[in-house]
Formats: sequence, structure tokens, C-alpha cells
Amino acid sequence: MRLADRLAARAARRGGPWPVLLAAGATAAAAGELALPTLIGGTIDSRGAAGWLGACLAAVAVVLGGECLAVWARGLTGARASAWVRRAVVRRLLGAGPDMTRRFPPGELVTRAGMNAEEVGRAPEALVSAVALLVPTAGALVALTLIDPLLTLALGAGVAAILLVLRAFLRAGGTLSGAYQETQGHIAARLVDALGGARTIAAAGTVEREARRVLEPLPRLRAHGAELWRATATAGVRAGVMVPVLEVAVLACGGWLLAGGRLTIGELYAAARYAVLGAALSGALGYVGQLARARSAAGRVAEVLDVPVLGYGTRRLPEGDGTLELRGTPVGDLVVPGGSVTAVAGRSGSGKSALAELAGRLRDPATGVVLLDGVPLPELSRQELRAAVGYAFERPVLLGETVGAAIGMGGIDGGGAERAARAAGADGFIGRLPRGYGTALASAPLSGGERQRLGLARAFARARRLLVLDDATSSLDTVTERQVSRALTEQYGGCTRLVVTHRVATAARADRVVWMEDGRVRAVGTHGELWSEPEYRAVFEERHFEERQ
Amino acid sequence: MPSSFTPALRPGAVVRAALGRRPGALARIAAWSLVEVAPAFLIGHAVARAVDGFAAGAPLLGLAWLGLLGAAWLAAAGAARQVVLAVAAVAEPFRDDLLERVVRGVLGHAVASACAPRAGSAAVARATLQVELARDAFAALVGVVRGFAFTLVSAGAGLLTLAPSLAGLVLAPFAAGVAVFAASLPALARRQRAYLMADEATTELLTSVAHGLRDITACGAEERVGADVERRITAQVAAAGAVARVTAVRTAALALGAWLPVVLVLAAMPTLLRNGVGVGTVVGALAYVTQSLAPALGGLVEGVGVSGVRLVAALDRILRPDRATPRERPSRTASAGRTASAGSPASARSLASPGRTAASDSPAIELRGVTFAYGPHAEPVVRNLDLAVPRGQHLAVVGPSGAGKSTLAALVAGLLRPGEGEVLVGGVPADRAGPAARVLIPQEAYVFRGTLRENLAYLAPATDREVMAAVEELGAHPLLDVVAARRSAALDAEVDPGRLSAGERQLVALVRAYLSPAPLVILDEATCHLDPALESRVERAFARRGGTLVVIAHRLGSARRAGRVLLVDGGRAVAGTHDELVSTVPLYADLTGHREPVS
Repeated sequence: MRLADRLAARAARRGGPWPVLLAAGATAAAAGELALPTLIGGTIDSRGAAGWLGACLAAVAVVLGGECLAVWARGLTGARASAWVRRAVVRRLLGAGPDMTRRFPPGELVTRAGMNAEEVGRAPEALVSAVALLVPTAGALVALTLIDPLLTLALGAGVAAILLVLRAFLRAGGTLSGAYQETQGHIAARLVDALGGARTIAAAGTVEREARRVLEPLPRLRAHGAELWRATATAGVRAGVMVPVLEVAVLACGGWLLAGGRLTIGELYAAARYAVLGAALSGALGYVGQLARARSAAGRVAEVLDVPVLGYGTRRLPEGDGTLELRGTPVGDLVVPGGSVTAVAGRSGSGKSALAELAGRLRDPATGVVLLDGVPLPELSRQELRAAVGYAFERPVLLGETVGAAIGMGGIDGGGAERAARAAGADGFIGRLPRGYGTALASAPLSGGERQRLGLARAFARARRLLVLDDATSSLDTVTERQVSRALTEQYGGCTRLVVTHRVATAARADRVVWMEDGRVRAVGTHGELWSEPEYRAVFEERHFEERQ
Repeated sequence: MPSSFTPALRPGAVVRAALGRRPGALARIAAWSLVEVAPAFLIGHAVARAVDGFAAGAPLLGLAWLGLLGAAWLAAAGAARQVVLAVAAVAEPFRDDLLERVVRGVLGHAVASACAPRAGSAAVARATLQVELARDAFAALVGVVRGFAFTLVSAGAGLLTLAPSLAGLVLAPFAAGVAVFAASLPALARRQRAYLMADEATTELLTSVAHGLRDITACGAEERVGADVERRITAQVAAAGAVARVTAVRTAALALGAWLPVVLVLAAMPTLLRNGVGVGTVVGALAYVTQSLAPALGGLVEGVGVSGVRLVAALDRILRPDRATPRERPSRTASAGRTASAGSPASARSLASPGRTAASDSPAIELRGVTFAYGPHAEPVVRNLDLAVPRGQHLAVVGPSGAGKSTLAALVAGLLRPGEGEVLVGGVPADRAGPAARVLIPQEAYVFRGTLRENLAYLAPATDREVMAAVEELGAHPLLDVVAARRSAALDAEVDPGRLSAGERQLVALVRAYLSPAPLVILDEATCHLDPALESRVERAFARRGGTLVVIAHRLGSARRAGRVLLVDGGRAVAGTHDELVSTVPLYADLTGHREPVS
């Protein structure tokens, strides 16, 4: 069994009793429906005898009960199975951490945890429903044969024809809807571009022109849409003709037998109903498609679940000053003395961020080891490591309901968050927000610089031994940056600070500078010592187009 | 505020309007529906006559009736195809209409709030998905409601003509089933809605988690975030369970509506036969129930119960996008100040009469007692500011981040209106001055999919020679090499904004501004992704271009090059030359590195 199928099967098992109840309900309803034509035929032939009528009533009750149970269980099976898949994906996301984002773009992860999990969750119900449709189809064939084998021949030929139609439709649908979705994507992409330029458009007064530009592919969308409708309509004709043709064929065949005395009226009625039931296979069309989607969705989810989790040890940090040491790592060997301010400089792509990620174990080095106060980082427990190391980023992603929660991230109390915000120079603008620290993050108007300062506050609030600032003050002007670095020295002076920077002033203020080049440490020294090297000076001469986005 | 772009319409009104606009398609739907439901009328009669014929030993008569029925079915299948196409003819314009609404709504909203939304792509993806859901649901709904109505009338007529005495036994319980279904709809709609909201809340959280994995790991917040996600997932399962329960109850009532008539007809059989009704007629009546009425009811339940609810929910989101996408709400809701919408009739008028912007005696920019805050409780970002910028002056605006520099730019450009005081551009209130009077180039440069020429000549038509001269003047020629292999082909090359760097996109915007004839240019950190040398070249080119230049400075070089500097800081502002400010304002000295900070 493929990995994806196993995943779907496991998701189904996590649905508790509901998949079983769904199967039971659907089967009971199918069985009841299968029995009803015979029972109604018997009632007709017996001219309304009480016994037959009672049996009819009982079968109707079974159908009713079975259908209700199936509908109820179907909803819950899908919801629970999807929830299980979603939980598994989220656990894996949180466990793998940034490694996950290096393999999949975030939007892709949202799709897999959202829509794809939902599709996998529908696999059990699609399977059960498809099987429950097979019961009447197969049963109808048996019942027909019991009435008269000739009738089965007529129906069997029809069912084979329907199967062919199903296959033809599935092939045609895929390519057509692909073109349609692609055009939709063009419109969406144009709209996203225009949204990014909202200020320009507002100033230029060109909203109407932009709306027209975004909607330019609309006629193409309409054309692809029309093709899709024609395909749907044509497939509908083929499937729609089949059922009545089957019924008429069976009725004619049975009528001939009735005229010859080989069939009763009740049996003829039953035969006609079985022909219709047998044709219920066309209903499987939807479920076949759903199963195919569930399989491919399961495959995509399985890829996410394959990403290894970042494991942690159990050790705690000994007393220490926060000395950081890299030994034999791909970026080279490095010792960052405890309590020092160490700047990391280098051109874009020279490995500054890679070094920053290694320092606090946002990733493990392919070779070698990183130690904090003599302890290899992977041996530390998660709580110990994350309480010891604080990270601030150039573009922090803020999470939490409120501004205060975004700083505290659950681990820091309100007082700690406010102290850190003051140090990061963020208390001023937070005070100007409608509800201060209690302002909902989603509605807080934040500029890039303000977000950076919240990110800094978040890092300050939790760093005990090591603080890693990965270009985390790039959007701050010089005054604010100086205020922040002053506060950092005054209030968090006991911490080792590793500061990735593009700015000369920051490098000059640091105790020493790690100069990165081509993914490795090129040299370590004071800014003054390194400044004599022309290539070092060139690092700070910003290039034409510094960042490709 | 967004109401001018997205009138809050009721979903029902939108659906009615969509139907009303295509009377031709509606007539086609009705005409083909008559053909499509012919078998629903014929089936009982044909089956009754055929059965009676076969039973009476006249198989040819039976076959003739069945042949008629078969022919009706074939015609019906062809008609069904025409019905689908006619429904599509209504559904496709409906989709176009919704898509236009979404595009204009989202765009208008973003423009009105005069700020770039943070994560627009997710909101756009969701909105286009809603449009597709609405289209599919709309088509399905039109299809089933129509099918049900036509089938009911035609099978009812068939039943009344075949066996009037049975009509009551069939139609009464059937009507009860429909009534129960109708009664269950509001509850179902409510729960479906609750489910969709829970689903959306989960997706929203998942989105921020997926984007913030690095940050979550760095903060060791896996457990807290995991617990948050768990809460949302649990709520979602509970909402799904609530939907399933209502659906199950409704299914029971409806199955009863479909099966009770069968049982009643069978129970009444002895009486009927005594009164001279033939067995064939009973079988025909059963055919009406099981072949026509029950499937139509099933379709109605499925269609209205699923598609209808989905349509209402999707339309609700499309027609009220502010509620649909809470995260993409304009982040700076201007309630103390007001936002102005460019492209309003006022600005269109001033474009038509450029004379209004050419009152040569008034200063280029004049602010009188301007105060602006982003919210009723927020501290003003600009407080009681007076400023006059003479024509032709080169002004640099400097200050710590968050001090209100971009707000000032937006006020001068007329994108924001002051809460108090007034902003005049060339003597005209800024929000009425219009695009011909000023150009604002924001930090996030707008480049769209189109040729480089279209992008560069966005603000004003320009000849190729003029465009190339501007490119040369600004030192933007690296741009030409990026978009095309040969420089001569560059202007006709298609630009993919995603493949340009931030600096390249800024160059596009700068050339565009340079080519505009507007007498006032506002560069709001519009050169922040260029290196200092190129930035200097660009600013000097703009100074040579003539007119008034306001530069929101990203680097100190911009301040040194300007004739006059405005220092803004937390609602206060001081203006002067660079040298004056260095010697008199400690913050400015600090900012420019002329005084070492006390440490």
C-alpha cells in the first residue's frame, strides 16, 4: 500500500466509531432500498395483503434510519479524520520548525494543512459511499437474475456503457479545468500586484484603470468556462440517457415476459426499479473523483509528515557567561566570548544568516557542533535552550491576539513584556495604539520599523545567555538604533550578543566583527583591524540592487 | 469607509438581479425545461397503459407506450443539455459580475485606506475561491429549483389525470416533506455559517503559524501555539458535528416525504381495486412517486440545502469583504483624520481644469495648523503643524522611524485628510489637487505585468525618446538589461514584477515620476533600496527637473542635498537648513552623527 493510502487509512481509523456507523447506516439503507422493489412488487401481486405491506413499512423504516445514520456519521467521519490529519501536520510543522519553511513555502503549508487535510478526511466517506453504491448495483443484478436472467443481460449491457462514460468524463474534465484555473490565477496575480501598489494607485488616481487591467483576462476566463460547461452538459446527456434507456429496455423485455405469463405485474415493477437502482452507479462519478483527489492530497500531506522533527536533549545549562563556540561546522570554527558584542558582517549571501541560525539552533549544522557554555546545543532541553537564546529578525512574524501577547509569546508576563518593549524603544508607539498593549495585533497599524521593534522586544524579553539579532534593526533610523543598542548594553549587558548588520556604525561599536564570505568565516577581529582590508570596506558599500525579492 | 466601493447588498438581491438581467436565457431555460420534464408527466400514463397492455396480452400496445416513453426520455436528455447551457449563460455573467465586484472592492478598499495591505495574496486567493463557489452554487441552485418546480407541476398533472383519487394520498405527505425541509433551512444555514466561520478562523491561524515557524521555534512557543491551533480545530469539529445533526434530522423528514406516499398508495390498494382502478394505474401512480417526485425532492434538498447555503455564505463574504477578511482590514483606520479617495469626482474635475493647480502666487505646499491621528484614542502623529514650501524648493523630511514622515507625505498628497487644519497644494486643498498637481512615489514601488513602456509612461504619455532620456538621466539603464537581452527591445519587453529586485522596481517608479509633468514630486523613501551613489544621482536629477521636490529621507545624504530640512519627531516638527539644524537641534545633531550620544 502506498504511503498516501496508509495515511488515509489511518485518518479513517482515527474517526472513532463514526466510519463504522457510516458504513453500517449506508449499507442498511442500501439493503433496504434493494429489498423494497421486491416487497412492493409482492404487495402489488397480493393486492395489498397486510403481511407484504408490513414488510414494506419495515423496509422503509430501515432505509430512513440507515440514511439518517449515514448522513450524521458522514459529517462526523470527515470532520474527525480531517482534524486528525490537520493535527498531525501542525504537530510536524511545529516540531520541524524553520526547516519546514526551507522545504515548503508557507502558502503551500497552509494549503496542505487546510484544504488537503480536508480532502484526505473525505476519503473514508467517499470510499464507504462508493461501496454503499455498489451494494444496490450488485444486488440489483442478482435480484434481476432471480426474476429472469434475460433482464440481467439487458441491464448488464447498460451498466458497462455507463462505466465507459465515467472514464471518458474523468479524462476530459482535468485538462479543461486546468486552463480555467490558470486564467483565474492570472487575474488573482494581477490583483495582488495592484494591492501592493495601493499607495501609488491612490496617488495617481488610477483605480478604475487598474481594475480594468486586473480584469483583462476575464473574456478568456469566460471562454474556458463555456468549454467546461459544454463538457459537463455533454457528459450529463450521456449519463442521463443511460438510466431511462436501461429502464425502458428492462420494462419492454419484462413486459414481453409478462405477456407470455412468465412474469407477474409485481415482478415487472420490481424489475424496472432494479434497473434504476443498478444504474445508480452513475452516482459513483462524484465519489470516484473525490477518492482520486483524496489520494493525491494524502500524498502531499505525507510529504510534509516526512520532514524530520528537530529533536531536543534533556540537559540544562551550567553556570556560564554565554560563551558560544562553533567547531567544524560548514561556516567554520568560531568562538564568541561570553558577554561580548560580536557583529557579523558580509555581503548578501555570504552566510551571515546561516551563522545566526546555527548560533541558537534554528538549524543543525551538517557537520560539526555548536556549543553554548560548553554544552552541545542538541543536548539541551527545548525549554532550556529557548529560554537562554533570544532571536530578533529583520522581518519578524508576530503571533498572538494582542500586541502584548506577541511580545510575551505565552512565556513572559506583562511586566517583562513592557520592560522589553521599553528597551526596544517600542513603548512609545504602543502607548499611542488605541488599547496599548491590549490592542488586537490584527488591527494594530504597524510600520516595518515598528514591527522590528516588537520583534526586538520579544527577543529581549526571553534572552538569558545569548541574543542573536539578524539584521533586526535595519528599518530603524540611526537615533532609534542607537537608543536600542544603548538600552541593550545597559539592561542586557550580561548577555552575549551576536549582531548581523549592514551598517558600519554598528560594526564599529561592536567588541569584534566576524567577517563572512562565501558561506564561511573569513576573518575575526575588531572593526579597526579589519578596516585596513579593502575587501572588508567593500562589504559596507551597498551594491546597486541589494535584495531580490 | 469602504461602503462607496462595496455597497452592502443582500445576497438575495444580487441573485435576483443576476436572473433578471438575462430574460432571454431564462426563457430558454423555461422552454427546454418543458421538454426535459415531459417524461415526468408521461411516465405514469405510459407505465400504466403498458402494464395493462402486457397483462391483457397485447404486448405491441405495451411496447408502443414504452417506445413513446423512451423517445420522451431521449428528447429530455437533449433538453437537459440545453438547460445546462442556458443556466451557464446566466451563471457566467453572474461570476463575471462577482469577480468585478471583488476586484473593485478589494482594490478600492486598499486605495481608500491609502496603505499597502500586508498579506494581500491570501485574501485574494480566498476571494477568488468564494467567487467560484458562488458561481457553482448559483448554477446548481438555479438547476435544482427549476427542476423541482417543473417536475412537481408535470408529475402532479400526470397524477391528477391518471388517478385523481390517488393524488391526495401522494401529494399531501409529499408537501409535508417539503414543508419540513423548508422549516429546517434556517437552522441549517446558521450552523453551516458557524462552520464556515470556524473553518476560516482555523485557516487564519494556520496561515500565521506557517509564516511564523522560525519565530515560534526561536521563542520556544511550540506548545502555546499548538494549544491555540488545537482549540480552533476542536471548535471546527464541533461545528461540523452540529451541521451533521441538523442534516440527519432533515434527511429523516425528507425520506418520509418520499416514501410515505408509496406506503399510503399500497395500503389503499384493496379499496382502489374494489372501486375499479386497475393494477396498471397503481403501478403508474407509484412510478410518479418513485421516478419523478422523489428524485426531484432529493435534488431540491441537496441543491438548496448545500448549494443554497453555500451561495448565501459565499455572497455574504464577497459583498461584505471587510467582514470576510478581518486580517486584511485597512490597518490604519482613519477616524480622527479622514482618508480621501483619489479618483473621486473631485480629483477628476481638477484634472480637467489644470488651471486650478497653477495659481502662481500661492506656495507649492502650505500646512496650516494640521493635526492628524490614526484613531480616536491614538496620540496625534502630526500635531498643529504649520509649514510653507515655496515653489521650486527641495525639502527633505527627516526623523526617527514612526515619527510621522509617511503620514506627512500622505497628507500632502491628499491621500489623508487632516483631523484639524488644512493642507493646501498650489493653493488648493490637497485632497482636491489631483494627480496632475503632484506625484507621490511610495517606498513600495508599484510595477505591474505589462511592457516596460506601459510601466514607465504610467502617469503621463511619453515618446520613446523622452522615456530613454529619463532613464539615462536617472541612471536607470541597468533596468533595461534586466528586462531584455537587448536594450533596444527593452521598452517592448514584458515586465514580471516578481522577477525585479526591490531596487529595480523603485527605478521603474522613479522614471515614471520623472516623466510626469506634475509640478510637485514627493519621494517617500522611494530610493531606500538603491545604493547611496545611485540615490544621490536620482535626487540630483529630480532637483534639476525643476518643480518642488519633497524627499522623505532614508539616509542622511538626502538631508545634506536638500535646500531645507524638516525634522519631525513624535508630533513636533522643526524646519531649517541642514547647518541651522545641526547647530540648534540636539536630536538632529544626534541623527546626523554630529554629536556623539551620551552613553
